[in-house]
Amino acid sequence: MITASVASGKGGAGKTSIAAALAATLGAGCLFADCDVDAANGVIALGSSIDIREPYFAGPGYRIEPPACTGCGRCHAACRFGAIEPVAGSRAFRIIQELCERCGACVAQCPTKAITTFEKQAGELFVSTGRTGTRLIHAELEPGEATSGKLVALVRKRAAALALSEATIVVDAPPGIGCPVIASVTGCDLVLVVVEASASGIRDAGRLVELILSMKRRSVAIINKTGLNASMNERARHMLAEAGIPLAGEIPFDPALRSAEESNRTWASVACGSSDAVKAALVAVIGVITTLKEKP
Amino acid sequence: MSSAGMTVLAVASGKGGTGKTTVAAHLASASARTRSTVLVDLDVEAPDATGYFPAAHAAGDTEAVSVLVPEIVESLCTGCGLCARACRFGAILAIGGVVTIDQKVCKGCGRCVAVCPAKALKEVKMNVGETTLRFVDSLDLLEGRMAVGDIRSTVVIEAAKRRAALAGASLQIRDCPPGVSCPATHAIEGADYLILVAEPTEFSIHDLGTAVKLGRERGIPIGVVINKDGFGTADVAGFCASEGVPVIGRIAFLRERAATGAAATLWLQDPLIMDEMDRILSRALAGARTRSVL
Repeated sequence: MITASVASGKGGAGKTSIAAALAATLGAGCLFADCDVDAANGVIALGSSIDIREPYFAGPGYRIEPPACTGCGRCHAACRFGAIEPVAGSRAFRIIQELCERCGACVAQCPTKAITTFEKQAGELFVSTGRTGTRLIHAELEPGEATSGKLVALVRKRAAALALSEATIVVDAPPGIGCPVIASVTGCDLVLVVVEASASGIRDAGRLVELILSMKRRSVAIINKTGLNASMNERARHMLAEAGIPLAGEIPFDPALRSAEESNRTWASVACGSSDAVKAALVAVIGVITTLKEKP
Repeated sequence: MSSAGMTVLAVASGKGGTGKTTVAAHLASASARTRSTVLVDLDVEAPDATGYFPAAHAAGDTEAVSVLVPEIVESLCTGCGLCARACRFGAILAIGGVVTIDQKVCKGCGRCVAVCPAKALKEVKMNVGETTLRFVDSLDLLEGRMAVGDIRSTVVIEAAKRRAALAGASLQIRDCPPGVSCPATHAIEGADYLILVAEPTEFSIHDLGTAVKLGRERGIPIGVVINKDGFGTADVAGFCASEGVPVIGRIAFLRERAATGAAATLWLQDPLIMDEMDRILSRALAGARTRSVL
């Protein structure tokens, strides 16, 4: 089993479209783990009918029960996240759930045991079948929920449990370089770095590359949206060469690729000038995956 | 909460790459022509707003952002393991009377320190990122930047928000991170108006839906800017109408714009863009849930 995580640093660089095209090209035996749990678009790219859905619980949250709260303020003083505030027109305090880190530091301080726990569904996990047979494991985090890294780990665990020994798991990572990205890249065999050929895209991919190198992951890159600005193409190549990351291919900016989603195809199967570049880049990536399978 | 006298506009999106930073940088530039403005880059994992202002390469005023993390005083630790049981983040392990702490996953809540009966945990500062304030093109530009390899983006976001509140500007424009989980939630918290940037694609409409839900849960008035208008055929305006959210601006997709945008060049000389920014600002300020300072 090989896990290839597709990440970019910057959002909108083309991660999901490229990950979906990679999964579609790999065909049977590939699982798609959509780890962008707060903007899960893999289902749109690959199409899906849901086979299994299950609720996701993030662990207990805390709330203050007004009758028991004497307004002593010890919880307020103990909270380092600014998540406890006085209730206007009352002596009591309340917890701002969106800012609460669920550490429980307040609970230990409350002399009247006015802080109780509650379990709230924080999202949902799905196993689906895409329109060309790809298995998808994906999830939707409730807006405002704080445990995306934990849900990412759960999506990956589910994918690994469903994968056959010769399978490839394609992980679609979220943007950024934080907790859910680290959870998406941890332990993977290959990171496919998607670099958008723009000033922001190169800067953000640079930070991602720094992270990947510190995590000692093998990686390969695709530069997306080339041809808009020649100096950006050059800078992207330079950044990758400096980091020692091999380039699998470059995909020219082409609005026609947009029609892929509109016609229920992936970038590898839509007919336009850039799809040949997509296919060539994916062949190179799959070559690396095949090598990894042969000699792990 | 936003500080007295300052209106806060948060620019966010759900999906990444729809043009949040482009819109935020242009809105700030337009606003700075008539009022004191601070642009705050809260996309601390991928901070790109500064790159739109070439003058910003000058050194700014940088402050470190840190959290207090526990360190064991070996001579006092009895190995009882209460700290490990108290930690909700899996940062402390107690095996066979030996306690080890992973400071990188510690959120700095202080619960372990409070429960230790032997007072064997002392707190030390750990750097998680930085904020930098620069003065460029007549606006204040405040950037939050999380250290690579860290996971405590919300700590950096809150530090940048606190520093921005001290800037003394009459308008604060926040460039928020993508998504709808904790970084995005912290970034929009306290805003008076939420500008959601969408592009005409199915991906974007899906993610716009979750962002609208988040904004509503937080009770923040919402307006949508359709960026790259004409780039795809997905009906953002129709979605907004069905959700009852106003479209407060449109930026047409032009290949030349994509080309200059790739180089993070501001379109300050383009009257079509800057007039649209003024319209977006006046609609957002008219819809903002607050004070009449502007």
